[in-house]
Amino acid sequence: MSAAVTTRSGTTAAPATVPARRRHRTDRMGAGRVVGLVLAVLWSIVPIYWAVKTSLQTEADARSADTQYVPLHPTLHNYARLLTDDSDVPGQIRRSALNIVVECGLATIVTVVLATLAAYAFARFRFRGRNVFFYAVLATMAFPPYTTLIPLYRIMSLFGLVNTYAGIVLVYVSGFLPLATWVLHNYFASIPQGIEEAGLIDGAGRLQVLRHLLLPLAVPGIISTALITFLFAWGQFLFPLVLSSDLSTQPLTVVIAALQGRHVVPSTLLNAAGVLAIVVPAALALVFNRYIVNGLLAGSAK
Amino acid sequence: MSSVSAAGSAGLAESPRGGSGGGTTPSPARRGRSTGAGPLPYVLVAPVIVFIAGLAFVPAVFTIVQSFFTVNALDPPTRFSGLRNFRALAESDAIRSSLANTALYVVVGVVLSTVLGIVMAILLQRPFRGRSLVIAVLILPWALPGVVEGILWSGIFDPNAGLVSAVMNDVGLGGGHLLLGENRVLTIVLIELVQVWQITPLSVLLVLAALQLIPDELYEAAQIDGCSRWGAIRQITLPLARPGIAVCMVQALVATLNVFDQPYVLNGAAATGATVTMQTYFVSFQNLDFGQGYALSLFITVLTLVGSLVIVKAVYRKVEL
Repeated sequence: MSAAVTTRSGTTAAPATVPARRRHRTDRMGAGRVVGLVLAVLWSIVPIYWAVKTSLQTEADARSADTQYVPLHPTLHNYARLLTDDSDVPGQIRRSALNIVVECGLATIVTVVLATLAAYAFARFRFRGRNVFFYAVLATMAFPPYTTLIPLYRIMSLFGLVNTYAGIVLVYVSGFLPLATWVLHNYFASIPQGIEEAGLIDGAGRLQVLRHLLLPLAVPGIISTALITFLFAWGQFLFPLVLSSDLSTQPLTVVIAALQGRHVVPSTLLNAAGVLAIVVPAALALVFNRYIVNGLLAGSAK
Repeated sequence: MSSVSAAGSAGLAESPRGGSGGGTTPSPARRGRSTGAGPLPYVLVAPVIVFIAGLAFVPAVFTIVQSFFTVNALDPPTRFSGLRNFRALAESDAIRSSLANTALYVVVGVVLSTVLGIVMAILLQRPFRGRSLVIAVLILPWALPGVVEGILWSGIFDPNAGLVSAVMNDVGLGGGHLLLGENRVLTIVLIELVQVWQITPLSVLLVLAALQLIPDELYEAAQIDGCSRWGAIRQITLPLARPGIAVCMVQALVATLNVFDQPYVLNGAAATGATVTMQTYFVSFQNLDFGQGYALSLFITVLTLVGSLVIVKAVYRKVEL
């Protein structure tokens, strides 16, 4: 009902012309809205465009005071260097790209599996201590992100897990489990109970019911949870900065930040590395945005 | 706090706590055959409970208790020292300066992300062709790592070949002086702009979800009553969006009060932009004074929780539609 927003358009129309007037008003009101939406879209993509543009330039072009808004001599040279060059910096980027994929992948799998099992129990069983456990898990979502940074570092170093994939993955999983459990709990709770009752009457066990009846229905919720977990993990910086001290485990985010501080790294190469670091999350966000939006809204109700 | 749900979407956003204010058992769905389930539910929740106990509650207790201890790798052994850590922090110029910086980050970030979130949500309120594509593009900055966003925006802010100085030169304003790290307020505002870029998408979604619950009839009635477009926004949209706005402000507060990635990448350790979270990192992992780090973490935690409560009290209103 976009026509309902403006009042005085000047043309006092008889009832018979209402449809025409409505269309007219919709169009007119669309103009301001279109401008606003275009600005919003530009605000979102211009910084990304600028990094992509810089990554496609030669260093001389990128540094030229005569700034080019589009790359006049586009080149894939920086990407070729990143992917094939054996020297110091590209090697570090490739290794840390591998690290971030491994760490985020493992953290996502473990989080989703454990959260699915717990969410199913919280949504479908009544057992002693259920509420205490449930609210204890949810309560940790109220901790600000870095409350536990130092103790987690000290626990991991106590167990010799600093600078291991396990250490980073354990910390990620503990951080993302509460949100994942909450989102999946809501999802299971929204699936009608009758579906399992049919299965239980047929004599199937609880876990068979979960596997064959509930899980297929919960797939969208599981996809949402997995995507959000993966994106959160991909964005981590301070935790891996503290928990990993060398290239054996440092994720791409940590290495890129370190390279930014070293002014010998060409800005075009750094931007190419930055584009490499955003390709995966940007693609996920564009392709699966519906799942992400639903998951975020379900999860923000804390 | 109540929940926000997305109308018309795949239904995931339905929360069992919808508006009940929490605290009660959430579950219309749980009746019937679940009481005598034996050990199975415990087995299912055990891994999550172990994780949360071991890697969230135990560390949180550590932070609280050890902030009253001297825990310093260069000054062993660990011993009780009362309020010494807190006193040392209160007397430190670096900490005080970082607190002032952080206050500015919070104000700029919460105000900007909330205003932009509301404006963009209103732009998206009514369906149009391509709306989901626009939403997908608007979410993009939320999905990217804060550190890399620092890299992207350093290209925008670059005083030589950056987008801002290029545009300023081309329109004849003579740019080239947008240097991060010189003027403290300008530095913080520019860095916070980068974080606003990251957190605004979630604000948009939260407010938009609240707006989707407002029935069209209200706007039609307002129009019949001669209410202007701006009047409808003020008297219908904003009051009814308060639950969404409260949640969006809380997430902005938590993000800005704990900001680390963007200032660390864009401005390093420089005092012009250092935040309390950055000081926590420096104190703990460079000075190796974990006791002071704990004290500072505890302080930020309490500040975050109190600030969130204040926002909820001030902004949140239960909405019945």
